[in-house]
Formats: sequence, C-alpha cells, structure tokens
Amino acid sequence: MASLSVMESHEGPGRPATEMAPGEAASAISAIDASRSWLADRIIAPGWYHLAFGVLAGSAIAEAEIRNWALFGWSVTAYTAGCSALAWWNQRRVGVAMEYFDCRTRAVFAGHVLTLSGLIAIACWLGLDRGTHGAFLAAGALAVPLTVAFGRWTDKLLRTRLQASW
Amino acid sequence: MSTAARFDEIVHAPNRLQICAILSAVSSADFAAVREGLGVADSVLSKHIRVLHEAGYIDVRKSTCASRVRTSMSMTAAGRAAYDGHLAALRAIVSNEGFHADGCRGDWLAQPPGLEGTPASA
Repeated sequence: MASLSVMESHEGPGRPATEMAPGEAASAISAIDASRSWLADRIIAPGWYHLAFGVLAGSAIAEAEIRNWALFGWSVTAYTAGCSALAWWNQRRVGVAMEYFDCRTRAVFAGHVLTLSGLIAIACWLGLDRGTHGAFLAAGALAVPLTVAFGRWTDKLLRTRLQASW
Repeated sequence: MSTAARFDEIVHAPNRLQICAILSAVSSADFAAVREGLGVADSVLSKHIRVLHEAGYIDVRKSTCASRVRTSMSMTAAGRAAYDGHLAALRAIVSNEGFHADGCRGDWLAQPPGLEGTPASA
C-alpha cells in the first residue's frame, strides 16, 4: 500500500486518492498544534505590557489627589493616548488581527472596568466627601496590580482559546 | 458542530497546513508574521500563498504604510471549510475510523485480500 508522507508536497489535479498512515496523520495534527502554540505565544503580551497599562491607569487616578481638575483632564487624555499607543504597538508586534473578545474575555474586561470604577468611586467618597488624604494615591497604587492581574487573566483565556479552537 | 471529513490535497502540504492552522485562528495575519511562524524564506511562503489564493482559500491584501508595502492575508469561508474538513479527515485517520480520500467515510483502511479481520493499522 502506498503511504502518503506529510513531508511531501501534493500539487496538481488528478492525483489518485492516496492513503495515509495514522501515524503520519498524527504528525500533521502535531504540526497544527505546534503552529497554534507558536501563535498563542506570539499573541501573549510581554510582561511589561500590562504593567504599562496599570501605570497609566494608576497615574491618572493618583493624579486626582492634587485636586487640579484641569490637570486631571490632561492626565485622562494622556491615559487614553498611552493606551492607544500601547495597543497599536502590540498590534504591530504580533502581526495578526483577531477577535480578542469572546464571552469570557468580554466578561473579564467588564470586570476590570467595574473594579477600577469601584475603586475610583471609593476614592471619591473617601477623598472628596470625607476629606481623607491619600485616597486617590492608594486607589492609583491598587489599580496597577489589578490591571496587571486582569491583563494576565485575559492572556490566559486567549491562549486557552487559541490552543483549543482547532 | 461537526464538520464533514474531506481530505484536501491543497491544504495537506505541510507548509500550507501550517499556514491554514495560523489563519484559521485569526482574522488576518501579516506576511512577515506567517513567515516567522513557518520559518521559511519569502519565496517559499509566496509560492504556498499563491496556491492557496488560486484555490480561493485565502484572500491577500496589500497596503502601503509609510512607503512600505504590507501584505496581509485572511482565510475565506471556502478555505475555512476545506481546512476544517481536512482536519476532520486527519482525526478520522488517527482514530482509525476509516476514511476515503474522496471525502466519504468508508473502508479507506480496508485490508488487502486475505487479511480481512485484522486491524487496519497493523
């Protein structure tokens, strides 16, 4: 029985139906697996990426401690521009476009936004209503590890999805 | 959702199988990223992309950014169906279910005369 090697290239019409041994089919599937693993590794952001997002968010929140709302407006603008620049750079680095958001990653993202919003709300209540000093600084400091944690959680979900989807 | 197993000669070549594996997971991928994933030369990748493109399995787009031409590719619906079918065929072979290369499950691993009743993979 002729066996079809996965290392061969098969081109041209009319090639007769050929048989493949299960081991060779398994090798082809392993190659697919390796490609998906490579893709998952490539898409996962470097460690400092989420830290940079966290520092941007934390700085914008902590800056409210100064109570200068014009400056706060600028810091929010800088935060938006910084996030956009980071996302653009990551997109260029990865070289692929994909649907980052499915139901799970969307839920994690929503959880991240709600957590930061809650943190800001508590800081406002403590800092503005009750006059507690350092509330925004503390909230900003907390925002950094929270952002890193949510970012890594999203990466983990993306990796699982990429490796499981075939 | 199950996909009908269909062995696809175009998808089957190792490099093209890997290209399809990458493109099936993303919306689009840059030429440079795919080349890096496969570890092949530009000319080799171009050849395989041309085969997939001519088969209608992938779309190729070129855009200019800062005076540099950027080539990106994405899988078409036909390409996705062919890849999924091919993958199902590979799985069928691995699981020893028996698969016929014309796309029909059957006695693809049928035994030569005189060996009936023995395992197909023996």
